[in-house]
Amino acid sequence: MTDHLSNAILNALADGELSLDQLASANEHLAACTSCTSKALYQTLLKSATTKAGQRYALPPQLQDRLIRLASQANTEPQAPRFRAAPISPSRSVWSSLGWATAAVLLLVTVSMIFVQRAAHKAEIASSEEAALVTEVFDQHVATLAGNMPLQVVSTDRHTVKPWFQGKIPFSFNLPQGLPSDMTLDGANLTYLRNQPVAQLLYSIGKHRVSVFLRRRSGHAEVDESLTERSGFHVMAFNTNDLDAVAVSDVDPARLAELVSSIKHAQTGDQKQSK
Amino acid sequence: MRLPWKRTAREAGPQTSEFERLALPLLPSLYNIAFWLSRNATDAEDLVQETFLKALRGFASFEPGSNFKGWIFRILRNTYLTSRTGLAATRTVALEDELNESGESGPAQLPEAAIDWQTPETNLLQMADRGALQAAMATLPPPLLEVILLCDVEEMKYREISATLEIPIGTVMSRIARARAALRTALEAQQGSSRGLAHDRSSL
Repeated sequence: MTDHLSNAILNALADGELSLDQLASANEHLAACTSCTSKALYQTLLKSATTKAGQRYALPPQLQDRLIRLASQANTEPQAPRFRAAPISPSRSVWSSLGWATAAVLLLVTVSMIFVQRAAHKAEIASSEEAALVTEVFDQHVATLAGNMPLQVVSTDRHTVKPWFQGKIPFSFNLPQGLPSDMTLDGANLTYLRNQPVAQLLYSIGKHRVSVFLRRRSGHAEVDESLTERSGFHVMAFNTNDLDAVAVSDVDPARLAELVSSIKHAQTGDQKQSK
Repeated sequence: MRLPWKRTAREAGPQTSEFERLALPLLPSLYNIAFWLSRNATDAEDLVQETFLKALRGFASFEPGSNFKGWIFRILRNTYLTSRTGLAATRTVALEDELNESGESGPAQLPEAAIDWQTPETNLLQMADRGALQAAMATLPPPLLEVILLCDVEEMKYREISATLEIPIGTVMSRIARARAALRTALEAQQGSSRGLAHDRSSL
């Protein structure tokens, strides 16, 4: 009888890892050795039992769903940057890249959050400032109408109204000519909005009164020319290269827009030179 | 050690859908192994997700047609080694991996006279108790547990295990022998305590 089979051979036998020669030799020994046969049987049974016992933990469905979702997201995103070509361990490469990627993502998220917060804060401030301005403009317009107070300069002549502001405001402006017959200039006031001097022009469109507030432009942002409504009045803002302007009236919005367009275009081009 | 799936230069990677086709069927196995190694569900989920993402991002380095299962299991194993539980395990485990000249795993090898070989029927009954075997497996140190899981549960060949764990085949064989010896010892200890309990009950 040959020597007893080693543990390594017995394990390799159970795992099907013996070469043909080794297998033949082992079988020859097992045919004559009950001790090794018992051990070989034990190893085979143990392997079989371990195979079953080892399959113990079931994949949670939510984890599978999450990973499928992650893979799908990656599928729709642009292809990730390539790794460096150095022949390093894949695991180290992946680990390193994941670390850098995580750091980059965190940095990006942090910076984005700061910008988003700043943008939101700015938007909030701008929104509140705009609301305050609309309120002030509305109040001034209503006060002008309700008080029935005479305008500081009463004239339908744009060549009278414009010069009246000389020395009173730190900017100049043009007044449109060739307005429709029912759209007339009534006069103007020097007033203040947000503690800045403002020219308040009074127009009539039919029997509706319109206030147009002009002030020196602050900032470079283009205003939203969309219409705002407040207590039945329409408020429309616009700006030119040098001026910020707000018009308020209870007239039909289309007519208000027509007047606003005329004033806006008067600030540029031939009309300006003609004043 | 250079593995067959490594590339020295990157080429255009396969599509993510190809990755999904290869990786998704392996998720149950990855989770099972991850749970065995990390020993709790939360860490196992983290381990699998991290492995999945690493593999997804590094899929361009995978050689099409090579052993994807070995590749992704290796990522899992390396991820585990750098995890909290993995680091804790590697600090507390020291092994004599090399086979001695006779092909036996020296320190863990029990003297022949000390082995109380049971009858196959008794072994069969003992091993039919899945809970007892699972408890015995849970006592294995990670280097032995992972090799026995890859060999018996994932049915990998020694060569694949060697590539996955980046250890020589001799070490694979040594660890498998150690793991099974440890399982046998644990099962015998359990059986011994059961016999003791039964004896105590019968003597009351």
